[in-house]
Amino acid sequence: MMREETRPEDARRRPLSLDEARERNIDGPSVIPFGPQHPVLPEPLHFDLFLEDEKIVGAVPQIGYIHRGLELLVEKRDFTDYVHVAERICGICSFMHGMGYCEAVEGVLGVAAPDRARWLRTFWCELERAHSHLMWIGLAADAFGFESLFHAAWKSRELILDVAEETTGGRVIYGSAIVGGVSRDPDDETLARCMKALAPARRDIAQLSRVMLQNPTVKHRLEGVGVLSGEAAYKLGAVGPMLRASGYDYDARRRGYAAYGEIEFETVVETAGDCMARAAVRIREIEQSFAIMDKVVAGIPAGPVALPIKGMPPVGECFARLEQPRGEVVYYVRSNGTRNLERFRVRTPTFANIPAMVEAMRGQSLADVPTIILTIDPCISCTER
Amino acid sequence: MTEKETQRIIMIETGSLLVEVDALRSAGWRLVQILCIGQADGAELSYSFGLDLELRHLRLKAAAEAALPSITSLYPGAFLYENEIRDLFGVRIERIRADWNGKVYDVAEGAEGRAGGRKPFSKVTIKATSSEEAGR
Repeated sequence: MMREETRPEDARRRPLSLDEARERNIDGPSVIPFGPQHPVLPEPLHFDLFLEDEKIVGAVPQIGYIHRGLELLVEKRDFTDYVHVAERICGICSFMHGMGYCEAVEGVLGVAAPDRARWLRTFWCELERAHSHLMWIGLAADAFGFESLFHAAWKSRELILDVAEETTGGRVIYGSAIVGGVSRDPDDETLARCMKALAPARRDIAQLSRVMLQNPTVKHRLEGVGVLSGEAAYKLGAVGPMLRASGYDYDARRRGYAAYGEIEFETVVETAGDCMARAAVRIREIEQSFAIMDKVVAGIPAGPVALPIKGMPPVGECFARLEQPRGEVVYYVRSNGTRNLERFRVRTPTFANIPAMVEAMRGQSLADVPTIILTIDPCISCTER
Repeated sequence: MTEKETQRIIMIETGSLLVEVDALRSAGWRLVQILCIGQADGAELSYSFGLDLELRHLRLKAAAEAALPSITSLYPGAFLYENEIRDLFGVRIERIRADWNGKVYDVAEGAEGRAGGRKPFSKVTIKATSSEEAGR
């Protein structure tokens, strides 16, 4: 109270600048702790947010709450069994983590999965991408208070999980990726039936897209918020929708792993770099995933789905890259010639996107921080492994 | 197609790290990751860079007590990798822009975290864990 009374009249009517605050012996930027427990954060992540009035002038991220040491386990598990651990890095991109590990090990072994296995891998990758993006729409809608949109998105997602269950037996952990191919082989009729079962979801998603991209309430929360320039996104190593929403045409699927080299698709790119652009990239990618699944079902070749893997892997190393829903992921394995690999490493997309997220927060208001965090679609379990 | 067909690993000396990284940065390469592998006499670090679909790696061997310069002056986003490597492998990395002082996973040497200050990826820890298992 004393401090208030000694301020000049004009200063009481407007916010103080940082220098004025210092002159009056008032602390500079306020530090607001955000997380690790917060209503919009499904997983623990912490930020020290530095604010001048309501504007973010800096943010220091902190991870480390759920580190499980999964990479180290590779030294204690048979290299063919470890795929089950790799799948459990994340409950959303589980299949892709298992598959990425397999691709890297297959690189060391010098083998390639059979054609049908490569096409099935593509099918499940796109299934995972579609349900992950729908889950994101739901979480984002929930964060800005649009409950009915949250319900509609997750209702459609359930249909996708039903297809995952029918084709793999699992809704979260598919258990279908194995070194040398895949362990499940749904027949062509099953795949065609699954695509028919997804028709209602595809119809609903078209409507969801309109709401997400055109509803004035949603636009008010997302447009012009958390803008990240293309240059900043690239320099800070952003990947996935975070990078593509800022105008960069980079999608690791272009490498042609699995069956992506044989299926035509366009990279989804937006240019505004704001939260809405990131949402638009994900929504357009859902539609694209269904189109790719259509092509897989129409063109999947017949044949075996796995190679017999026997003996020890040779001494060697391999990097493999995939495009997960959140962006490019990098897998590395090194073999010492025994059944236990010497090193397995995953660089997940959220890990790469954290510096860009901090940059996107700069200059934004405190109330927009949850939306900005959500639009990188953070997966902290992946990040900490 | 696997990355093994296209990867390119270039061995460099610790002293030339910043020069080599700066050359890639100037040529438009983005930082993809930093990988560390613990070894009995130190650590091996691979800095991966991407340009379009190409991937290139700079690899160096750091002696146990050697200090590496941080590349955050060139790639500010590298701070997460460098903090993690210091925590998990005990590699000394100097002048990291956002320095968490060994508190990423609370397992750095000297930290009083759940792991009791052990570095989980070091050979010492692997050996200690194996002996504990054998003791049971």
